[in-house]
Amino acid sequence: MVTKNVDLHKNGSKKMGEDLPEVYIDDILMSLKYYIDEHDAHLQLIEPDVCISCENKDCTYFCPVGAYRQQEDGRVLIAYQSCIECGSCRVMCPHNNVLWKFPRGGFGVAYKFG
Amino acid sequence: MSNTRTREGEKICFDVIVVGAGLAGSTAAAIAARGGLKVALVERGQNPGGKNFFGGAVYTHALEEIYPDFWDRKPPLERPVTEAGFWFLSQDGLSKMTVQGGKLKRPSSTNGNGGQTSASANPGPTSDAYVALRARFASWLAEQAQKEGALIIPKTTVLDFMHEPGGRVIGVKTDRPQGDIYAPITIVCEGVNNLLTQKLGLIKHDLKPSTVALGVKQLISLPTETINARFGLADQNHGLAVSVMGDVSMGLTGLGFVYTGNECVSVGLGVNLDLLAENHLRPYDLLQRYLNHPAIAPLIAGGKLMEYGAHLIPEGGWRQMPRLFTDGVMVAGDAATMVNALHWEGTNMAIIAGKAAGETAVQAHTMRDYSAATLSLYRDNLKNRFVLQDLYQYRNLSNFLEHHPQFMDVYPAFLNDALGMFFSGFGVPKKTLYRDILRSFTSRRPLIQAVGDMVSFGKSVMGW
Repeated sequence: MVTKNVDLHKNGSKKMGEDLPEVYIDDILMSLKYYIDEHDAHLQLIEPDVCISCENKDCTYFCPVGAYRQQEDGRVLIAYQSCIECGSCRVMCPHNNVLWKFPRGGFGVAYKFG
Repeated sequence: MSNTRTREGEKICFDVIVVGAGLAGSTAAAIAARGGLKVALVERGQNPGGKNFFGGAVYTHALEEIYPDFWDRKPPLERPVTEAGFWFLSQDGLSKMTVQGGKLKRPSSTNGNGGQTSASANPGPTSDAYVALRARFASWLAEQAQKEGALIIPKTTVLDFMHEPGGRVIGVKTDRPQGDIYAPITIVCEGVNNLLTQKLGLIKHDLKPSTVALGVKQLISLPTETINARFGLADQNHGLAVSVMGDVSMGLTGLGFVYTGNECVSVGLGVNLDLLAENHLRPYDLLQRYLNHPAIAPLIAGGKLMEYGAHLIPEGGWRQMPRLFTDGVMVAGDAATMVNALHWEGTNMAIIAGKAAGETAVQAHTMRDYSAATLSLYRDNLKNRFVLQDLYQYRNLSNFLEHHPQFMDVYPAFLNDALGMFFSGFGVPKKTLYRDILRSFTSRRPLIQAVGDMVSFGKSVMGW
């Protein structure tokens, strides 16, 4: 596959990202090993309503495992099971609406190669 | 020296607690244990290494300082870096500026894969840098700490500190039942998400989005011979490490990389987190776009994804650095923004800082003084080393790149154009050719601005 022409500049006419290849992140995540904590979600929205009214919902884009997904009714749900604990959502959420903890000891992503 | 914990009543006591068995933590634990201290190395992963992720390469100068006999300890290294440099991507082209031989030391006579076959402890001239798989490397480094006498406590997340009435830290609270651990010194090597460091007030705020890059990477498996052929490497004793600039990050502040392992290629990129978010780019889409680039795709064609991953890189450097010590505590590694984004240094800084923290812990125990005044020796040590010196010198780097995005797209694209024109200008009057090359430049960036760019690069980065 050859990369299509993309507009390099932010203020260009085209929205950045329009011509990006389509990636199925769930397939890619098959390469990762997790110890999933069924009893404790280490990521939570502090106030879910804040996300409904959040205009840009940046987290549904920048999360590198696509753990933040917008529902049809406007809610944002977190698939904490696929989190690789990078911290981006905590750092980047414009409303500081993410309750971010490390998973309990032993749980979460376990890189084989890193 | 004993590696068993002692119980005083219900209290579990050590001389030193190290939080996080990454590169800084395992080194700090090893040095402290070697100095006769009773060390607990607390790791939240199933095993050390499981939470570690990088590009990447490790540098033997740092390893050698801790373990002069490190070859005998069979580190899980991949290929030595015998070719290094920059690749510049345009939309459909690639120019390379790499070096092999010369100042880059010759490859070692061993096959790098921990496979030290000669009986000699000294394998002769070795490469300065080795490609490595981070999880395996960190796991090995933690084993070395264990051999020095440190006790690894895995599957344990540190939640908070315990303080004495005066405020000095005297231990940590973990998520284990009755999981409080006491020690007069805690070395915090918790990684980029430095929540404990924040909790201590050593930095007053969380990471700022503009000062962290989100790194994403695919590790792709390919047969050794295929890697050799595609990257022009003679054999498994030759390896490549390059930074990739230009059409990697769609003009955003970011860099790509390629590292060759024994039977895998690591290809990834790091982009400023705030720019990713602002432009609504999915990092894995951006990575796939890079992997699809006509100059990159053939290198990894037919390869199988071994592992995907992502990690924040603390690129804020000097200006975002927490205070490195307080009463009873020192901070090292990513938690203390010890990363040099331009030179891909970080693993070596972590190891050297871990060493300095471990040494300071030993000194403090000798003096029986765990106050900030004593632990400031740790910072003084690093001030005399490349760690704090380089971070200080590059203190304006991230700010510079933010304000000079043309280094990310305009110049790499021009370089490709210029070289392409020069080497395809057959039958064209050369006066016309040079005029066209110059126009290709000035149409992108007026000369006067280019001069300004170079001057500010010199000022902000080179320290002129």
